This record gives sequence, structure tokens and C-alpha cells, in this order.
Amino acid sequence: MSYTLRGRLESRLAGLAPVVAAACVLAAAEHRWWPVEAVGLMLGAGITLDVLAYDRLLRYQPGWAAAPLGLLELGVVLLLMRVAGVMAPVWQAVALFAGGWLAAQALGHAGFPLLRLTYAEDGGELGRLGAATAVAVGVVLAGAGATAYALRPPVVHLAAGVHQGPLVITRREVLVGEPGAVVRGGIVIRASGVTVKNVTVVGGENGITVNGVRDTVLDGVSVSGPKLDGIHVRLSGIVIKNCTIDMLGNALGQGIDISYNMDKGMSMVEGCTIVGGMEGITTHGSMSDIMDNSVSRTTMRGISVTEMSMGMVMDNEVRDARGIGIWCNDRSMCMIERNTVLDTRPDAMGHAYGVLASFQSEANLWENELGANPVASAAISQSEVQSSRSFSYR
Amino acid sequence: MQVAVVGSGLAGFTAYQTLRRELEPGEIAVFGTDDDPAATFRRRAAAIRQRDMRSESDGHCGPKSFPGLAFRATVGRRSPAPLVGSLCDRFHPTVREFLAHVERLRARSGWDTSLHSERIERVRAVDGGFELDGHGVFRHVLVAPGHPGLNVPDELRADPRTGHAYEPHEYAPTVTVVGAGLAAATEWLNALEAGAEVVSVRRREPVRRPLNVPREYFSRRGLAGFHRLSAGERAERLKVLLAPSYPPGRRWDEPLARAMMEGRFRVEHTVNGARQVICATGFLHGFRHDTLLARLVDEHELETAGDWIVLNTDGSVPALTDATRTLALCGVPAQWAFPAADTVPGAKYAAHGFLARIRSCPTR
Repeated sequence: MSYTLRGRLESRLAGLAPVVAAACVLAAAEHRWWPVEAVGLMLGAGITLDVLAYDRLLRYQPGWAAAPLGLLELGVVLLLMRVAGVMAPVWQAVALFAGGWLAAQALGHAGFPLLRLTYAEDGGELGRLGAATAVAVGVVLAGAGATAYALRPPVVHLAAGVHQGPLVITRREVLVGEPGAVVRGGIVIRASGVTVKNVTVVGGENGITVNGVRDTVLDGVSVSGPKLDGIHVRLSGIVIKNCTIDMLGNALGQGIDISYNMDKGMSMVEGCTIVGGMEGITTHGSMSDIMDNSVSRTTMRGISVTEMSMGMVMDNEVRDARGIGIWCNDRSMCMIERNTVLDTRPDAMGHAYGVLASFQSEANLWENELGANPVASAAISQSEVQSSRSFSYR
Repeated sequence: MQVAVVGSGLAGFTAYQTLRRELEPGEIAVFGTDDDPAATFRRRAAAIRQRDMRSESDGHCGPKSFPGLAFRATVGRRSPAPLVGSLCDRFHPTVREFLAHVERLRARSGWDTSLHSERIERVRAVDGGFELDGHGVFRHVLVAPGHPGLNVPDELRADPRTGHAYEPHEYAPTVTVVGAGLAAATEWLNALEAGAEVVSVRRREPVRRPLNVPREYFSRRGLAGFHRLSAGERAERLKVLLAPSYPPGRRWDEPLARAMMEGRFRVEHTVNGARQVICATGFLHGFRHDTLLARLVDEHELETAGDWIVLNTDGSVPALTDATRTLALCGVPAQWAFPAADTVPGAKYAAHGFLARIRSCPTR
């Protein structure tokens, strides 16, 4: 087809209409905005490429070109989602895009030509239908954007200084700490959709407790001196990034413990520094990605993925753990890539593994640096360690 | 009856299929001398032993571009190859498939009901429409006269060795093929396959392109700029666009290269002593060669530019078309509006424009 610019835009907008509808349904079903945000980015990327590249470079576009151009657009959309911080399950986002691409192909090759007699000779222009669809798609996305804007959680600023806790958050909000804001006695999150940014927590039963909620984001928090865990997550979906947790002197608590949230989708721990504690980061019955963290001087494992957990353990540095640097245990499935595990000390039984898979677990290892440990990696009790790259987000 | 199609060849037939979207067979009168709309094409394709169409999936006579011939071939052959080929612009329906498709459409569209076996030689504008050679007055008339005749260069016309590619023929041991388009290229291969020694005589090197004109001229992408040209510029552009061409590809190149190495194929500038001269030189060109069109121009003092009648962008004749009546051209004479007008998609283009005029006519 030799598209005119208007034809490209109208065909794209009309082809996107089913995806916009699907995204709205998905957003309503999941109570999350990412499908609509993703479709907005798809539209923005597509229109930009249409105007700046495709229209100028492609006087004629053969049918097969839709495949490489689709892959290019998918890459751009995923990149934009990452840059824009759209928290989407990757495979769902890819599925949404793929569904949209297929719908656009079906409409472009069959649907539009059936609807409009002169579709091909008009260079993809759809006349009134095109204008109406463009308006409809625009209205829906603008409406969704306006709704999202109106529903933004209130931002609460925590002033510099020490605030006596425990601070209990019972509504959806964004809590932003001013430089020097400290909560003594811990934070307890009891509402979904809470974001805590740049707050320092000292002491408390747990430093931060998240229980039975969803869509929690902890960004740039610092925790020190809790009695039990640094960040304690139960039955909750969470993203933790850029945190600092000091557990020195606490031999039994975990730096971050995320447990029993398999039904809440993917959780994430990224860019955190954890010192001390029994285990630096541990997940139980969870789907979590653990990436770009630094864990050191724990009294037992550095990172453990256990009790039927699944997820990536990638680009972390684990130093000076005891017994096991990274542990994949109890029927868990772990993708362990590009981690550095150093100086693991022998435990009471005299064992010291860089990576260990145990009790019917599967660990897939790729490009880890495990040499500076008494045993680099091992699998015991019907477990398996593979050294091939079967899957990666990156 | 308010709508008439003058011409019962493939262009008229294709236009008829589009008109049938909104009109019943009894509301359309088709005037022509052939019952079979593909008769002329069939004869010419057989003469040059054409097996595959140059056109692609879109080259079907139905009003919409989907389902195309690739989809139908996929269903018919029970193989995805045609659809995959179509995605890569490598699907060309066979002549047999195309003719079967025309036959199916003819049977189910009511063509034979609408057809009047009469030759129209004069179209005259009258109050309320156009009078067709004593067969009544019609408000909307589409003229699809086809090519006005085979073109044989003057210097070869009296030569007893000469025949036209589109006339039935066999091959002598030495054959000169005059021309550089698809028919010429087909004849080179045919004669070589028959064991002949072939000389290609041509004035210019052939243009190699998949379709008759560059692909963008099949849509508004290329047409918008074409329509903006002045009359003189457009006439010049048409000369360039309509230069003889045949598709690129090994299918054409390899047999020629092999024959050239064997000394059985060569290019020369003049006809030499070959025992047979085949003129693959296409058709007579210009409205003056067509009695009906020449008379139409003269009687109504229509604007012309060189060999072409000046048309609106939809193929209608400006001086004879208004809100209440339409006279439009379809097929070769509509190249002024659509450079590939002598193809099936070209006939559809003219038909779409014609149908839009009928739709908007307040007295329809």
C-alpha cells in the first residue's frame, strides 16, 4: 500500500480503537492504569514514527514490512514505558501490543477495505470514519488521562526533623520526606496505592510494614535499627527501589522480606543497599525480581528465593554472606544472571556456596561471578542448576 | 434506466461490478459487442502464451480490494503460499485463475441481464443526460471503449513477415521482436523456448518495474501530485510513466542471459533479415484513433491535451458533467486521471468515481 500521511494516521488510529477498548477493560479489571498508559505510548510512538519516518522513507510499504516495523515500535514502546516509569507486567504489555498489531493488520488488509470501497486508492484514508475514529480514540485516551489525573493520590510532605512513629498510613497517598525527615518507630502501610519517598525510618518493630495491600512503592527510603525486619511485606504487591537498610547488630531480622504475594503479580526490589541481618533479601511464595542490589555482611544467606517463589536475581552483588550467597530453595524457579558473589563464609556445617539450589528447585545461571567462594554453585536434594540463558528481561 | 456503460470488455465489466453494489442489473445498461467480457483479453493472452498475470492480488474485478485473488487462491489451492507471496509482492494469479474469477463474477452479477449486444458509436449530450446512438437517454454514462487497435510501426505495415504479438502466431527459426514492454519480453522467451534465434529491436532500453506504473500512482500518494500538474506537465509525465516496461526478476533475466551466451539472443536497432517479425508494440494511442471518442470531442468541443481528453480527477469529462449528469471515461482514455487506467485497478478507480457521482446526484 502507498499510504498518504493522512491515510497512515487514520489507519493507525482506527486500527488502535480495539486496543484502546481492550486496554480500558483491562485497566478496569486490574484497577491499574498501565494498559491505558501503554496504549497512549503506543499511539504517541506510532504517530511520531508515521510523521517523522515512515511517511518520508516509505513511498510504498509492502505487506511484509509490517513485521519489522511492528518489532521496532514494540522496542520503542517498551523503552518509553521504562523511561516513563510505567509499571507494567512485561509479558502482558507485549501481549497487548501484539494483540493491537494483529488487530491493525486484520483491519488494514481486510476490515477497512471491506468498510470503505476506495480504501486502497485513497492511500489508507478512511474519510468520515477515520475522522470519527480519531476523535473517539482521542476522547477515550484524553478521558482516561483526565481521570487518572483527577484520581492522583494526594501528596503529603513530611517536614525535616524527627517524627514519632509508628506512622500508620490508612489512605492512598504519596508521602514525600523533605531532606532530613526521620520517622522513629516505623511506618505501617494499610492502604493500597501508597508511595513513600525519601523518608528515613529508625527503629520500630519492623522498619516498614506492608500488609494486605497493593500498588505500594517505596522509593529512596532508608531504614536502620528495626527490631525485626527492615522492610516486611506480606500479601502485598510492592516495588522497592533505591533503598538503604542497615541491619547491623540484628542477627535474626531480614533486610527485606517479601512473602506470600504470588497473586499480586510481580514485585521488585531494585537498587537497594543492605548491610547485616540474617538474610539480606528473601522472598517466600512470591514472584519478585531482585536486581542491582548490594547485600553484605549477613549472618546467613545474602539473597534467598524460597517456598515456590519465581523470579530474576540479576546484577546483584553479595559479599560476605554466611553459608550461601544466593539461595534458590523449596521448589522455586530462579533466573540468576550476572551477579557477583564474593567471600561467602562457611556456616556451622562448614558449607559455603556462591549459589545453591535445593529441594526440587531450578536455578538457571548465566554470567555470574562466583569464583571467590569455596564452592561456586551446587544443586542438592533433587534440584537442578543449568548454565544457559533461557530467558531474560534484558 | 439512468445508468449506462458503453463497452463490454474488462474495463466495462469491472466498472459494472462496482455499480452493482448499489444498482440492480435492471438499472444498468451495458452496451458492447462481446458477451464474454474477457474475450479480448483471453485472445491476446493466448496469442502471447501468457500464463501469469502481471497484476497482483488486487487485480481482480470485484469492487473492494478484499478479498483479493491471493486470498481466493489460498482457499482454492489450500496453501498459504499465495497469501505469503502477496505479502512479499510476489504473488501473481495465473491467467486461468483470473479468467475463472471473471467467469464466476459474470455468472452471479447479472451481467448478461444488463448486456445489450449493440455497438455504440456516438454519445451525444442532450437535456437530462446523454443520448446513445438511438438506444435511449441516460443520465450517467461511463464510456469504456478499450484500446482502439493494435499498433504496427508504419515501416513494417506492408512487410509480409510482420505480425502483431497479440494475433495468433507460431515462431519461425529466426524471429525479430520489435518492442520493449511486457508483451515483447514474453515473446522473447516464447520464441527462445520454441528454439528460435531471437533479435530484439527497440528504440530504448526497457524500464524494469513490477507493475505498469510505479506503485505510488495506484493511490492518492502519487496521484495527488500528478493531479496538481498542469496539462502540459501531465502529458509529459504520462509519456514517462507509460514507457514500455516489464517486471524485474530472474524469471526474465536468466533465460535471456543463457540465450545470449549461446548466441541465440541479441539486441539490434533495426529489423534485419529475420524470417518473422513480431510487433510487440502495443496499441494505437490517443482518442483520435477511437471513432466514438473522436466524435465526442469534436461534437462537444471538449478540451484535449495532446493525445488525451482532459478529465476531472475522477475520470469524468468536465464539460459534460455536473450535479445532474455524468459522462466519465474508463480504461485507456482515463489515463489522464489515473495513469494505470488500462489495468483492472484503474477500471475500479474510474468506477468508484463514477459511482460517487451517481450517489450524489439529486435526481437519481
